[in-house]
Amino acid sequence: MERPAEAAAVIDQKMKNRYLTLALLTSILHAHGQQDSIYHHKRISRTDIEVLFGFYTQSGDHSAITGGTGTEQLQVYSPEFTITHYRDSAHILTLNGGVDIITSASMDNIDFVVSSASRLSARTHGSAAYSWKLRRSNTRLAVQSGLSVESAYLSLPLGASIEHSNPSGSQEWKASLQCFFDDLRYGWISKEHFGPVGLIYPAELRDTNWFPNYKRNSYNFSFSFYQVINPRMQIAFFPEFVYQKGLLSTPYHRVYFNGSSERVEKLPVERWKLPLAIQLNVFAGSRTVIRSYYRFYHDELGITAHTLQLEVPVKIHPELSLSPLLRFYTQTAARWFAPYHQHDVKEAFYTSDYDLSRFDSYKAGLTLRYAPQRPMSPRYTFNALSLRYAWYKRSDGLAAHILTLLLELEHTRTHPLHEGFARRGINHSD
Amino acid sequence: MHAINKNVLYAMTLLVLACLLHNCTPVKPYQRAYLNDAAMRPGSTGIEKFDTNVHSIREGASGGGNGKTSGGCGCN
Repeated sequence: MERPAEAAAVIDQKMKNRYLTLALLTSILHAHGQQDSIYHHKRISRTDIEVLFGFYTQSGDHSAITGGTGTEQLQVYSPEFTITHYRDSAHILTLNGGVDIITSASMDNIDFVVSSASRLSARTHGSAAYSWKLRRSNTRLAVQSGLSVESAYLSLPLGASIEHSNPSGSQEWKASLQCFFDDLRYGWISKEHFGPVGLIYPAELRDTNWFPNYKRNSYNFSFSFYQVINPRMQIAFFPEFVYQKGLLSTPYHRVYFNGSSERVEKLPVERWKLPLAIQLNVFAGSRTVIRSYYRFYHDELGITAHTLQLEVPVKIHPELSLSPLLRFYTQTAARWFAPYHQHDVKEAFYTSDYDLSRFDSYKAGLTLRYAPQRPMSPRYTFNALSLRYAWYKRSDGLAAHILTLLLELEHTRTHPLHEGFARRGINHSD
Repeated sequence: MHAINKNVLYAMTLLVLACLLHNCTPVKPYQRAYLNDAAMRPGSTGIEKFDTNVHSIREGASGGGNGKTSGGCGCN
């Protein structure tokens, strides 16, 4: 017969074994349960697809190609696409490409090709941008580059930017530097030439080499600052500074002097620009947004300009909005501008380009936006379709119509979450 | 007189801005329904891009939160 103390020790040991077995079983079941859980960590990638089509037509009677007189008939057809791929909340890749197909009556007077009723030219452009968010901060960095080419110029843009927002998202700033390295020689896209052959001058002025330099470099420093004022109002400031150096004249623009002489337009080789803009957006009531915008501009050519724009999107249905638009613009003339036959040959610089003259312009328009955000398939969503028409009139007689169509689609895809992403806490909903 | 009017206008604008910024109220995430609306987005909207390009070519001024300011084309 066992003594009571020994019996108690055996019972205690048995209980310990039972507890250990139970604990082991529980941990196995818990681990197994985790593996078989219906909840999996996944990364969602999103791709926004935008297809834009623009049509522009203008009429006027002050073509710079013919010295400030003559038809300015011009039509532009401009299809463009933009794909923005959000790999996760940190990495964004943007690709953009398009073409501007231009038919212009006055361009007959500049091309190497024999004139036709209306010459056709095309500008092809593409760009890529990559941005990433710094770990454990609300700071995002971006780099950008691309190429833009037309028969009479080639442009290489390079850019970088940094943006930061405070934790509550009520304040955000962005600083960027964009550089454009342009080459204004003719022959980049041409049936007759397979490379640049030189600057293109008006046919009757090709016996002189008017400009020794064919390059133009532009450096754009821009800054933007957004501030939420209250749940219905936010304000934005956009100060910028631009410095340009090189061939700023357009080599196929004619200038007729008050005598009988004729030359190619001549502008200084340096120019700075200073635009300062402010935007105030207010959500008034439950259906109306008031978007107001003002810009002050001054540059080295002596142009001072003011721009005022008011757009009022009204939600007439949860999926449909209508936005009337009014814009007023006024500018003083560049100090080197004079109309046809009014320049003096003794002047150092001269232009008869009416885009640099003193004028006011008015624009009225309407945008219709249908935004159902409706899934078309498990992966594709039809976000929005917008149509915009604007009528534009300048006080020097130029009138234009602008039509734009924008289609916005979205593609989403889920991926198994990589261990590294899970550890860093990166997901799409950040 | 014209210069004085301009200075008064600028001073008033600055005063209004100062008042607006001074009166900023903190906005909670659940209060952002209006601010998150697509029409409230600051800067130019996607459909404005083509218009902006037209203005930068047809007018002496460009930039100010509205697309590229210069370079990349044979225009201004």
